[in-house]
Amino acid sequence: MRTTTVRSGRARALRHVGMVLGSVVGILAVGAWVARAEAHHSFSVFDMQTNKELEGEVVEFQWTNPHSFLWINVTNADGSKTRWGLEGMSPNYLGRRGWTKNTFEPGDHVKVVVWPLKSGEPGGTLQKATFDDGTEVVNFGNRAGGG
Amino acid sequence: MQRHVWFMVAIFGAAAAPLAAQSGPQGDTWESIAKLPDFGGLWEVTRGGGPRGAGEPPAFTPEYAAKLAEYQAATARGEIEDGPAANCVPNGMPSIMTQPYPMEVLFTPGKVTILIEAYAQWRQIFTDGREHPEDPDLTFNGHSIGHWEGESLVVDTVGFVTDTSLGNQGQRHSEKMHIVERFKLASPDVLEVQTTITDPEALTKPFVRTATYGRHRDWTLAEYVCQQNNRNFTTDDGKSGIDLSFEEEE
Repeated sequence: MRTTTVRSGRARALRHVGMVLGSVVGILAVGAWVARAEAHHSFSVFDMQTNKELEGEVVEFQWTNPHSFLWINVTNADGSKTRWGLEGMSPNYLGRRGWTKNTFEPGDHVKVVVWPLKSGEPGGTLQKATFDDGTEVVNFGNRAGGG
Repeated sequence: MQRHVWFMVAIFGAAAAPLAAQSGPQGDTWESIAKLPDFGGLWEVTRGGGPRGAGEPPAFTPEYAAKLAEYQAATARGEIEDGPAANCVPNGMPSIMTQPYPMEVLFTPGKVTILIEAYAQWRQIFTDGREHPEDPDLTFNGHSIGHWEGESLVVDTVGFVTDTSLGNQGQRHSEKMHIVERFKLASPDVLEVQTTITDPEALTKPFVRTATYGRHRDWTLAEYVCQQNNRNFTTDDGKSGIDLSFEEEE
């Protein structure tokens, strides 16, 4: 049913890059990014004091500008399902830090940490996602810096 | 003896005159471009190298200080949540130079072109010796002329719309804003751009910031169509949000 087996080698390798880079500098990078929020939009609609954890199945990963969007179906306590839309960095940014359009595929089971929308709508900023095999990708990634 | 000196001067003068006539500003021919510093590869703002780095904040005139205070009060009241960039309006100068996306600097005879990935913008800087138009059209990135001072590219830009800010939304400027940038390699793979902003209506003294960029020779520019899937928005009255509409695939 899923294509996990076919892509797993490459995807794992890429995730591993993201995991290593992400865990080393992820938090610093978040700070750096937020300070640069004027880039496209402010973070006023997000509750950045809350690290909300969600678990669900990937519906679609939109590899688009100005933001990537990860759509996941989350099963609620009462058994109902809610589709969450999670904004991420752009392909331009993430693509230079090991992500690809196939980083998430429909059916992937993920645990995510998000800054939820203040409005209460099912959306937020993706901070990181963890796959069943324990690998992790960090949205703000490694700010390459250069030099 | 004296006659001999004058003779030498005459010889040198005769030899130098045609050379001087042939060589215009640095960078006006492919031959002279080959002698310019190597700005090749893509450049991305380094951490801490952005517009909010160290330095004195802008010194506003009373009129523009009031605009900033008004903006801050409206933000505190929750009346302004975001700026026009959330609707994909490019930042314009000076902020377009410090977006978290790379840029590429190209030299062709008489012109330096900066390709800016964010919002798919470009700037053209005429280095052929021309002046600014007397009454330039007002644009987001302005009208730029430049010249080389040794290893530094000095760029002078005028003619700005007032839709843009100095970096933070409340920091406004007038149509008379004038920007001078000095580009130079601070080290082999670090480009430094010192930006000095003056504005007789908005600022009481020059506002100076230095940004640094890291070189990425192996990167290539990527497409950035902001309207592709922009779910952020800000309304005319300053409210912002996210469009979570989603079409199920068959």
